[in-house]
Amino acid sequence: MEAKGLFNVAKKEFIGHLTSKKFIVILGLFLIISALAMHQGTDNYNERLESYKEQISQIKEVEGHVGWMPDKPSIMLVFMFMSDYIMMLGAILAIAMGFDLLSKEKETRSLKSLLSCPVFRDEIINGKALGGTLALVFAMGTALLISLAILLIFSIVPSMNELAAILVFGIVSIVFLLAYFAIALMMSTVSRDSGSALIYTLVIFFILGSLLPIVGSTVAGMVTGEPPEPPAFHLQHETNESEGTFFYGGGTEEEMQQYQEELRAWSEKRKPITEVFNLISPNMNYQKIAFFISDPRIYSAVYEQSSPSSKSMTITTIVGESSAPSLQEVLGKVWKNILALISFSVVFFAIAYIKFMRMDIR
Amino acid sequence: METKTIKTENLTKVYNGNKAVDGLNLEIAEDDVFGFLGPNGAGKSTTILMLVGMIEPTEGKCIINDIEVARNPLKVKEIIGYLPEDVGFYGDMTAEQNLDYFARFYAMDASERKKRIEELLELVQLASVSQKVGGYSRGMTQRLGLAKALLNDPEVLFLDEPTANLDPEGVFQYRELIKQLSDEGKTIFVSSHILSEVSKVCNTIGIISKGTLIARGTLEELKSELGRVGAENLRIIVETIEPIPEITHRDIVNAEYSETKRKAIIEAKSDLRDYISSKLFEKGVKIKEMRMEEPTLEDVFLSVYRR
Repeated sequence: MEAKGLFNVAKKEFIGHLTSKKFIVILGLFLIISALAMHQGTDNYNERLESYKEQISQIKEVEGHVGWMPDKPSIMLVFMFMSDYIMMLGAILAIAMGFDLLSKEKETRSLKSLLSCPVFRDEIINGKALGGTLALVFAMGTALLISLAILLIFSIVPSMNELAAILVFGIVSIVFLLAYFAIALMMSTVSRDSGSALIYTLVIFFILGSLLPIVGSTVAGMVTGEPPEPPAFHLQHETNESEGTFFYGGGTEEEMQQYQEELRAWSEKRKPITEVFNLISPNMNYQKIAFFISDPRIYSAVYEQSSPSSKSMTITTIVGESSAPSLQEVLGKVWKNILALISFSVVFFAIAYIKFMRMDIR
Repeated sequence: METKTIKTENLTKVYNGNKAVDGLNLEIAEDDVFGFLGPNGAGKSTTILMLVGMIEPTEGKCIINDIEVARNPLKVKEIIGYLPEDVGFYGDMTAEQNLDYFARFYAMDASERKKRIEELLELVQLASVSQKVGGYSRGMTQRLGLAKALLNDPEVLFLDEPTANLDPEGVFQYRELIKQLSDEGKTIFVSSHILSEVSKVCNTIGIISKGTLIARGTLEELKSELGRVGAENLRIIVETIEPIPEITHRDIVNAEYSETKRKAIIEAKSDLRDYISSKLFEKGVKIKEMRMEEPTLEDVFLSVYRR
């Protein structure tokens, strides 16, 4: 395959994205909101850091303490705030970039002019995908650079491990954006006009992003039924900001043990169903990966239990753990989600590719 | 032996079970300006799209300069220029930027591209236009399309309805350009449904109807060939000083008389001028004028299309 045509198309597309009004407006909004999220996250990180320092000084006062030591908060918490905005505005940016890539060329008939040049069809579709990908990398790279700048402004210097985690976060975010870009590109290829392509893409965005997790939860609820009732005792709880929620009350040890087993069985039955639905939602996959990278200790435990009612026990369980999992361990836990996220881009781009290669240009 | 630049062999394209082009066999010689004539929906654009390698034939093949289009579309695209019907460009770019983008697909370096683009924009009178193509009129876009088709200095040029959006001045310039390109030895394939346009610039004409080539030849050859086949009735116009009496003959199909009966248009299956003049003479009616109206090429084509 000649690369000249591919790079020519990719260059034109990349410059076209970067100079288009819609890209500039949405990217601007995305960057501003990301910066605000970073600011918010930085405040949260500083608060946790203060709390951590306070706990450490209190422990040091206790002579001969050999028990549990609190973990120092990671600056990755700051990026957890950012992931929410990427899921919404980032996805919209990716959709805005892709929905009219081919449909507009069909409408303005520039596609015929392009195809009359000595260029292979696959160079056109690949060039468009490459140009869009580079523009998304540029957008995400800019957002990450701004976030790093904000961290430095607040005198927060990331360690090498944290820099690696930030890089992985950036790559995963790009893969997430590519999933919606590929969906939009596919719709642009199969739809008659740009208006229809945009509507269909937004419908898919809504289904995959919002509807599917709800459906998953509902189906799981229908299959597994209601969660088991706790033993007959007056359950009370207390929430402490730094330590989470604690349940306490009466009841025998045997009753509690039986309840915990039933709850675990119920959770295990429910887990594969919700996981299947979550795997086919780019948003849920991205959210899970982002959460794991941002706060691996908490989320590893929470997702392993995957039951909202067992959260208190989860926290009690992890409190005893000695250290947070490494980045490699985290990636090992979310490999299915990463694979699912990559599959979205591959599958939808493959549909766009096949459709475009077979398209009759009249 | 005459070189055939463009050749189609049993070229067929089927869309949803309907044959848009049906077993088309064409041979167009080098340097020829060939007019491809036919009504809308006859299969002209589909034929061109197959010839320029944009769509693949269902059956048969297209050969341009001994290269089979479906087997080597890129090689063909390097030596041809194509102006599509309703040509389009990138509206957010200037004419120069558009042409530069397309020129990058050909083996042209930056200085070559710049020089060629300047020449072509001058040729189509868009050199002084700095606005983006999105603000162009249809005529300006059409002229830019012509420049785009000539970008690679093609050996073979395909023009699909080239004058569709041009004003009279633009049409005149287009005709001059075709003559100039023909003199340079280029083979030009002009597709149109406008007979007058094709007859003004083309040396040979092919007529397509319902996907099939129904006639081919020079203008004169076509006129006589189709005149025999297509025109069933002759029109004899008679003007007299006295009122015309009723004339009957088995070959007369229709006769229309003016209110004063001093003018008649007689449609007949054969040339009845001798018969009519003798009849009028017998009745003492003096003839002011009598002429037979031959069918125009337009009439002939229409009668052929409608059959």
